[in-house]
Amino acid sequence: MQQYIKIIGVVVVALIKICFANNALAQDLGKASVSGKVSSTSGEALVGVGVALKGANVGAITDADGKFLISGVIPNNYTLVISFLGFETQEKAISLKPSQNLEVNVNLHEKSFEVRGVEIIGKSATTQVNEQPYAVTAISTRELQNSTSDAKEVLNRVSGVRVLEEGGLGSNLSFTLNGFSGDQVKFFLDGIPMDNFGSSLQMSDIPVNTIERIEVYKGVVPVWLGTDALGGAVNIITNRKSNFLDASYSIGSFNTHRLSLNGAYTNPNNGYTFRGNVNYNYSDNNYKVLVPITEGNNVIDTTEVERFHDRYRSGTVKLETGWVNKRYADNLLFGVIASGNDKQVQTGATMSSVYGGITRNSQSVIPTLKYSKDNLFVDGLNVSLYTAYNFTKSEVIDTLRGVTYNWLGKANYTPGSNNGELRRTYTTIDDNDFNSQFNAGYTLSQKHSLAFNYAFSYFRREAFDTENPDRIENQFPRSLSKQVLGLAYKFDPTEKWNATFFGKAYFLNARTSKMFDFALETQRVEALEANKNNVGYGLATSYFLLPQLQLKASYEHTYRMPWATEIFGDGLFIQPNPDLGPEQSDNFNAGAAYGFELGNNHKFNLESSFIYRESKDLIYQVVKVASPETYYDNLSQTRTLGVEGSIKYLWKETLRLGGSFTFQDITDQADLVYNESYTNTGYQRNYQKGYRLPNTPYMFANANAGLTFKNALVPESVWNINYYYNFVEQYFLSWAELGSRDTKKVIPQQSSHSIELSGSFNQGKYNIALECRNLTDALLYDKYYLQKPGRAFYLKLRYVL
Amino acid sequence: MFSIKNAKKLALPVLSLCSAFMFSSCDSNDDSPNPVGDDSFIVSLAIQGSDNTFTYYTVPFSDIMSGTLSAKGQGIEQPGYYDFTQIDNTIYSLGGLGAVNVVGISKNEAGELKQVGNTSFTNSLSDIIKADDNTLVAVELSSNSDMVKFHKINANTVTVASTVQHPVSDLTNLKVPSYAGMSISGNQLFLSYYISDPNTYVTSHTDKAQIAVYSYPSLQFQKVIEDTRTGPIGGFNTKSGLIKDEQGNVYALSHSNPANGYSQTTKPAGITRIKNGQTEFDQTYFFDVAEATSGKTISHLKYLGNGKAFAEINTVGRSQQAAWSDGPLKSAIVDLNNKKITYINGLPEHSGNGRRLAALQDGKYVYMSIAEGSSIYVYKIDTENYTATKGAEVQANFVAGISKL
Repeated sequence: MQQYIKIIGVVVVALIKICFANNALAQDLGKASVSGKVSSTSGEALVGVGVALKGANVGAITDADGKFLISGVIPNNYTLVISFLGFETQEKAISLKPSQNLEVNVNLHEKSFEVRGVEIIGKSATTQVNEQPYAVTAISTRELQNSTSDAKEVLNRVSGVRVLEEGGLGSNLSFTLNGFSGDQVKFFLDGIPMDNFGSSLQMSDIPVNTIERIEVYKGVVPVWLGTDALGGAVNIITNRKSNFLDASYSIGSFNTHRLSLNGAYTNPNNGYTFRGNVNYNYSDNNYKVLVPITEGNNVIDTTEVERFHDRYRSGTVKLETGWVNKRYADNLLFGVIASGNDKQVQTGATMSSVYGGITRNSQSVIPTLKYSKDNLFVDGLNVSLYTAYNFTKSEVIDTLRGVTYNWLGKANYTPGSNNGELRRTYTTIDDNDFNSQFNAGYTLSQKHSLAFNYAFSYFRREAFDTENPDRIENQFPRSLSKQVLGLAYKFDPTEKWNATFFGKAYFLNARTSKMFDFALETQRVEALEANKNNVGYGLATSYFLLPQLQLKASYEHTYRMPWATEIFGDGLFIQPNPDLGPEQSDNFNAGAAYGFELGNNHKFNLESSFIYRESKDLIYQVVKVASPETYYDNLSQTRTLGVEGSIKYLWKETLRLGGSFTFQDITDQADLVYNESYTNTGYQRNYQKGYRLPNTPYMFANANAGLTFKNALVPESVWNINYYYNFVEQYFLSWAELGSRDTKKVIPQQSSHSIELSGSFNQGKYNIALECRNLTDALLYDKYYLQKPGRAFYLKLRYVL
Repeated sequence: MFSIKNAKKLALPVLSLCSAFMFSSCDSNDDSPNPVGDDSFIVSLAIQGSDNTFTYYTVPFSDIMSGTLSAKGQGIEQPGYYDFTQIDNTIYSLGGLGAVNVVGISKNEAGELKQVGNTSFTNSLSDIIKADDNTLVAVELSSNSDMVKFHKINANTVTVASTVQHPVSDLTNLKVPSYAGMSISGNQLFLSYYISDPNTYVTSHTDKAQIAVYSYPSLQFQKVIEDTRTGPIGGFNTKSGLIKDEQGNVYALSHSNPANGYSQTTKPAGITRIKNGQTEFDQTYFFDVAEATSGKTISHLKYLGNGKAFAEINTVGRSQQAAWSDGPLKSAIVDLNNKKITYINGLPEHSGNGRRLAALQDGKYVYMSIAEGSSIYVYKIDTENYTATKGAEVQANFVAGISKL
């Protein structure tokens, strides 16, 4: 009986669904649309005019040709409202019949009174992001579109941010944000966590003209990003225009080629859209480095040689198709990202070790689904869903036998030896990663709004080494699932003041195996399951003291859940620690932003902020001197005190000057370190308590200057000259206070200069840019003894439709 | 255009920027390194960072028996992993960061520490020993490599004079031989090892002691000699499997102790001998360590003179030993000829560092460091009266070497 009821239930639900679906379809077919052009009385097309259909709650903004389109309207009688700053608002009554496409052309009259002494504050998306109460820096890449830069170089100019590179294009990068690094800072591409794109899509693979803007959240991370970041987040927003084509190719020193094709097409009638993005990067990275030359086992010379085994290639194809601006969805997009890279490995941890045969490669295929709808069911309810499944396969190959290389590229053969250059291996790693993120926002009233986020991820890794099939660490599958729930409440009592309160809940479930009695007769492996739950919370608030002076403060008590290797170990040297807890941090930011004008032509923008971070239970690898085993534990503590500031100056639209400065004092606050070499003590006094953390930049700055000329030499042209300066104070590889100065290993102070000249013709259709990086050919290092490229030239050609 | 009004507008941003620079100026570097001429004790301090890396500081001190020993503002810095051993007037540090090397640390005319040598090896050197006044022999025996490499090193310039390589399969076909100790006596170089799986660290072959014999100075492989009275020689990373006395007799230490890298034990612990000029184990000599210590084992051994050696002796039997613990230990003087053991009084029970014993012989005294609670102290041991005196506190996570230059 019960079964019948179930079946009936299913049928009823299905029927209801079909009815509704039909209904929706029927309505869709019969819908009307209204389009037209808005111009001024003098006939000039007006861009950015708001056109609203009163009573239907839909509207549009006119495009560059002054044209607008409102589609999917239920046939009825409406009032069309056309309004634009400086013009008189017009209302027109229209009547829409089923399937009609009504054309309405409007001429707006300029307001008759004179606008005087009124400041018009137009806010770009970048400004709006910057004005969020969070400590956030949004960088618009609009001015950089012609630049040969990539995401990494743009980020490196943000205060508080350092991108540490090991070498040229495609080399390992590490990103530090106010002293947090690695997994403590999370990366997003259009709000989607980048860690599930795998290693085949890196920051340096994203060319600047696919980027709309980059948002850097320092410390406090908004709920909608749905992550367990400890020290902040970076969100890279790509181009979202509905119809465009942007193609660029750049060629440069070290046989570097970068190709980027980027476009979108949207059918204005049925909302069908197709977006595509293709990137290809290639570089031989054969820049010169100053290195020791070995002969036998002696270092016979230190000289400048070209890198000979450092080629990098990467390619990404990103396709997305679906519908936009439909009744059932603002966006319903199905996509696939396919990316791959392949890389020769030139050096080890420092340039003292050199390889001539080791390679790595990685390929990913990522199907994606995106859905978003504003005003779903009721006004003010906005929802979005993102889901992706990532299949990544990577290989690490060191299969040369009995060969070693020196920096001259000379091979040294050891007959009879089967040794790899580093450790003979042919390891294949298969990662499967499922990621889903759901966001909902509801505006209760003008003053109260709610936001909810749910993020789920599942990760599984399998590895196999054909050169060493018995390798124990590869015998166990590793999997981890993680959920993050967030709820935020935003209160806007006045236009000047707003505050957001939020709470986040973190859930972690890990299934693993643990090895007991390592290297003893009783050694065995048993299954284990671990669960961890935590609750974080915070507050972000902002107040406009003056219309152009904003004060901000935010605080968050946040967690980062341990990731797979930390909790599972690697089945060999890294022992699992199912008891491993999340790391936590209390992040506080306070800052001010002020924009003002002196006279009519001098615009200033100033920002300064103070940061304080108290982080504990930091996940830390316990190193035992007496044995090769190690595991992760929660132990270390740090405190960060820092200030950062930036200044921008604009003279008319011709001269730009800017700069930022960061000072961060990050000190070790742990009382103890763990050292297995003293089995009776284990935990030992931390002799660095209160000392600044080594191997972390603590003072850095950058400056830029730019000049723009319009219509010089060629009509309808824009010329830009930009100069960039980057400074990092010397820092120590290990503890600054210990050892005598003359023997200390340092990452030396560095200053680098870059200059760029670009021209844009035919209203931005054709573009050309020429850049010289590291103008003075300085020796640059971000990591100890890993030299970055010297002077390099790049030429970029770009076509925009 | 710039009026007072405008100046007021500027005040706030200027103030906020000023605050940024004020913060940065708080950053002061006021430590002043002050090396003193007659610092004859050299202590290599290992400092563990909370980023879990180690950095070594080799620091001169005039007095190690009082106060605290710290690397603050002084000492030669070496990040990575380093193993220190003193030969004559030079301390050799083996290891490195990235590539591996050997760096000599000695004193210049002004009495300041200097670094000598610029070498680069594929794998870290397992050990370096003295062959003659101008020649050292270093060995690479790594689980990553199927070759045993001997390097003759110029003791003055710390550069490689010549290299001889032999396949590891000369020693054994089992996986894999792990370094235990090396000694040169007369025309022979003795290389001792034990078999340990490089993946699991399981030791499945503990039925005999093995030493590879090479000719010296030609460094040609001759044979592997075996002794089934005891188990394999040496242990994980302790490097004290072979010691040599004034007569050129080589003593081999076997313990197969779980505390030092063994997953099983099948033979009694003991010390065996190769007499000067011989290339076989001396079957007339066997030091039954278990008998002399009531069932215990010796994990570290350092030759002092006159047939006496300084030893670290496990306080519990092998069956009760915690794996990979290198302890608990008691220090003693071992008489190799009379097969007698005398414990030192006044020394707390302690653990080893799981690496080469860091101890300095200075006349009748041995200096070493011992961890007590969460602190480390220098102890001065009288090897004739078997007493010990507590000295300076060491501000380090462990002491990697104590020397006198």
